[in-house]
Amino acid sequence: MQKKICMLGGFAVGKTSLVRRFVQSIFSETYLTTVGVKIDKKSVVLPDKTVDLILWDLAGEDDIGSFRVSYVRGASGLVLVVDGTRAATLAVALTLRERAEAEFGAMPFVLLFNKSDLADRWAISDSEINELRQLGWKIYLTSALSGECVDDAFRQLASMVAK
Amino acid sequence: METLRQLLVGREISELSRVTHLLDEPEQLASAVGGVLPSAAARAPHAQLGEALAPAVERAVQRSIQKSPRTLTDILYPVFLPAIRKSIGEKIDQTFQSLNETLRHIFTWHGLKWRFEAWRTGASFSEVVLKHSLVYRVEHVFLINRNSGLLIAHVTADNATSEDPQLISSMLSAIQDFVKDSFNEKEQSGLDTIRFGELRLWSEVGPFATLVAVIRGNPPEELHEIVRDVLFRIHDEYSQALEQFDGDSSQLAGIETQLHSCVELKQEDSNQGFPWLVVAAVLLVLIPAGGWFFLSWQSGQRWQAYVSRLSTQPGIIVAEQKLRDGQFYIAGLRDPLAADPQALLSGTQVDPARVHSQWQFYQSLEPQFVLKRLTASLTPPKSVRLSIVEDRIVAEGEAPDTWIDRARAAARQLEAGGPVFDISKVRDVSPEARAAEHWQTYVSRLEAQPGIIVAQQRASGGHFYISGLRDPQAADPQALLSGTGVDPARVHSQWQFYQSLEPEFVLKRLTASLAPPKSVRLSIVEDRIVAEGEAPDTWIDRARAAARQLSAGGPVFDISGVRDVSPEARAAERWQAYVSRLSTQPGIIVAEQKLRDGQFYIAGLRDPLAADPQALLTGTQIDPARVHSQWQFYQSLDPQFVLKRLMASLTPPKSVRLSIVEDRIVAEGEAPDTWIDRARAAARQLEAGGPVFDISKIRDVSPEARAAEHWQTYVSRLEAQPGIIVAQQRASGGHFYISGLRDPQAADPQALLSGTGVDPARVHSQWQFYQSLDPKFVLKRLVASLAPPKSVRLTIIQDRIVAMGEAPAAWINRARVASQQLSADGLSLDISELRELTPQELTHLRDAIQAVGIFFDSGKAVPGPEQLPVLDKLANQLKELAKDAREAGVTAQFMLTGHSDATGRETANVSISAARAETVRALLKKRGVDPELLLVRGAGTFEPAETEISRTGSSANRRVSVTVSFH
Repeated sequence: MQKKICMLGGFAVGKTSLVRRFVQSIFSETYLTTVGVKIDKKSVVLPDKTVDLILWDLAGEDDIGSFRVSYVRGASGLVLVVDGTRAATLAVALTLRERAEAEFGAMPFVLLFNKSDLADRWAISDSEINELRQLGWKIYLTSALSGECVDDAFRQLASMVAK
Repeated sequence: METLRQLLVGREISELSRVTHLLDEPEQLASAVGGVLPSAAARAPHAQLGEALAPAVERAVQRSIQKSPRTLTDILYPVFLPAIRKSIGEKIDQTFQSLNETLRHIFTWHGLKWRFEAWRTGASFSEVVLKHSLVYRVEHVFLINRNSGLLIAHVTADNATSEDPQLISSMLSAIQDFVKDSFNEKEQSGLDTIRFGELRLWSEVGPFATLVAVIRGNPPEELHEIVRDVLFRIHDEYSQALEQFDGDSSQLAGIETQLHSCVELKQEDSNQGFPWLVVAAVLLVLIPAGGWFFLSWQSGQRWQAYVSRLSTQPGIIVAEQKLRDGQFYIAGLRDPLAADPQALLSGTQVDPARVHSQWQFYQSLEPQFVLKRLTASLTPPKSVRLSIVEDRIVAEGEAPDTWIDRARAAARQLEAGGPVFDISKVRDVSPEARAAEHWQTYVSRLEAQPGIIVAQQRASGGHFYISGLRDPQAADPQALLSGTGVDPARVHSQWQFYQSLEPEFVLKRLTASLAPPKSVRLSIVEDRIVAEGEAPDTWIDRARAAARQLSAGGPVFDISGVRDVSPEARAAERWQAYVSRLSTQPGIIVAEQKLRDGQFYIAGLRDPLAADPQALLTGTQIDPARVHSQWQFYQSLDPQFVLKRLMASLTPPKSVRLSIVEDRIVAEGEAPDTWIDRARAAARQLEAGGPVFDISKIRDVSPEARAAEHWQTYVSRLEAQPGIIVAQQRASGGHFYISGLRDPQAADPQALLSGTGVDPARVHSQWQFYQSLDPKFVLKRLVASLAPPKSVRLTIIQDRIVAMGEAPAAWINRARVASQQLSADGLSLDISELRELTPQELTHLRDAIQAVGIFFDSGKAVPGPEQLPVLDKLANQLKELAKDAREAGVTAQFMLTGHSDATGRETANVSISAARAETVRALLKKRGVDPELLLVRGAGTFEPAETEISRTGSSANRRVSVTVSFH
């Protein structure tokens, strides 16, 4: 089974780095700057089946206006990526999600607070994260550097989209 | 009952009537049904609703079209316009493709074959062409979900490979989105074709899925239709599953078989047989035509052969040639040295009568022509060989320089466009040739010489050999070489001496052997040798002996014409010896000299520094009394005289050495600039005709010298100072060290430095103080310490100091004490001439004041607080005395003398004593004493109040005392 997943997040939050080490890819990162999207695949083995997550890594833009929402069409889930050292990127990720859902309806997502290895520059309070968790959101503090929680997040999303 | 019914079901009745009313009234019913119709339609089962509505919709559409086709057209326009557009586009592509292929194959063997096939099968020609020419292969087919870009199915041909099809399908749809977004394309169709070299991606878009075929090669446009058909069939069969596709393709397993039908599509190149038939047909046509053309061609060919032969001829340039009406015309340029075009005709089978030539002559620059011309113009000697080496003309061999010069000129001319003329390999043989020529000149010169008989001569290997006879008196063959240009080192001569008896040789020999004086003239008169003139007897004797020898076979030597002049001659000889000796004397110029009547006269110039002509007479046997000289003095510019004069005038310091180097006077060594300036001035004077005076090797030592001079000036100034004794002084390394004794009263050595030009910073002095016993100093000290009133005059009379005049008694007492002290040093102060003078009323107060002392702590220049009452009292006393004195008609003056104890350095003591006096003056001034009346001096340790015994110094001596004087 395959599912289209879109990775959404502001500029330089580390989406590309997140997928770089954990996925199978045949396209170079220049696609991001030329076509605006790069496609990678992450196979997640669930107890009953294997889900191929086809990850659409959209070029990160802080300018929400230039976000090509059409790329989200047909997606089964979202990976929202936030730079934990820049509080503003949380708002960007949430806005991108709102825009995607406004266009294509609600879909499951996981929220990744990336760069958890930079603890000394961490800009998002635990209470804020807990509030979001209260909403039932699946939130992971990830690090592209250490790989912490990245697999967990993809596994969670896979089980959510495969139902 | 009615009421009860009304009560029980009244509400239902009214409701029922309302509903009935609603159903009866069509308008009301329509609005009610209209309210629920949309949701009712939405909830109805799709199939049934479709079936129910289909006839009505069909009718409605039909009706609408009948009524106004425009409305529906407008509605459908956005839907079918793209479809039509695409369809037309494909049709045009198809047409172009078939046109291309038709054109490409129309004249080929395939073309013929395919035309036949088209005629046989009844298909159009282009169809047949396409069928055969398009070679392609569908390698992959992707079926992609239109919505999500997820791969539904993928089929690949045998041996075709690709990357992960899942990623590719997503990326393909991403690129579709990208193109659509980037160029604002609203069309639903998506990308039709992507071409990349041999690869083409064709996509066909269906409602739910896109089919992408990856084709290698050149597919026919019809393939679109085939692919589209497959896509439609898939949509037909799996419409439901495609619509609901959510990433799970297990439902769609059968699709792959459909796709396989696409992948199998291909057209392979087929090998064609060789078209023998066509070749044969062509040959049949060509052979007779060829035969027909051959004859005329052959004639032209011969002409062309001739023309090309001409063209390849060096020195011939064919400018134009043509063949018209069987006549040949040719025009061009030819070098006169080139082959004759006419001559070349022979053997070409071209009829010379039909050839019309027009040749312009020109000079070819081809090497071989240039070579010919050069050979003609330069006429190289036999020893030179000209040849052509790689387009260059190379001259080799030997030639004289004149020829080489001409060749070089020719080479230069050729530089402008012609081939290189290399004459570097021609050896210049002029030297030998010239040498041989010179030799011949020399030999013939020798042969013409009287007294020389050339027996044999030859030149060989650059050397010259000559032998023969020569008279010793004959010209020297060696000397004759000069000017002939023959290298004497190469001449090997062998001369046998012989005596020629020709009169002129005899004359020569006689001249040589007899050395006749000037007064004798030998000459040849009719083969006789005649001597005439005057000669001393000794010479006449020798001449006579020679004449006797000659009488045996030689010519006659006649000496009868010689007069004997011996005595005078001898004197004259001596005189001449003397004159010539003078002439060789540097600094002496003999202008005139004569001998007359036994007297000698000489006149000329002589440098005062030259040898004395008179002195030179001694030993000459000339009687000085008979010598009359007249010498004008002059300055010789002979370097050695100039040197002497320079030595005298410049008086160079010892460090300078003057010498004569090749007529130049060179000064070397070290000298101060003043001297150098003078030397330079002298050098400038000499520039006008004199020898060069080179002073560039003199090092200027002025700064040091001047500094040393200044120092000496200073030292001698110090030494002249009374009260200063210079014990030692030296200058070393630019610094000056001086030590000695000085009286405190003597001039300050430091102050004396000013104006001497000596840098004080470089002077290191060490002065010990002492008291000079020089009466002058003693006098000074007395004046300072006793402060004599104006009425007293101290003078020095024969080493004694005498005080004269009138003075107060107290002063006279102090003078007496001083006199006693001085006598201990062997000096005397004579006060016998003093007369006592002082108003009594003043003396009392004065004595009181003079008894006062202000005392100080050791090393302090300010008195302690316990001294303040003393100062207060003293100030009052001074003011009172000043006032009293003024009233008495005199001025009282107070000398404040500072003293120190004997500890510490004397310089420090002197300065602290002065400082103490100054302090007291200031303190008194502050207390109202007129400062004009207060004088200050420092006595150091020299006027102690008591003799010091302790090492710590006497407190009684650290004081300021006051001395009063009246004026």
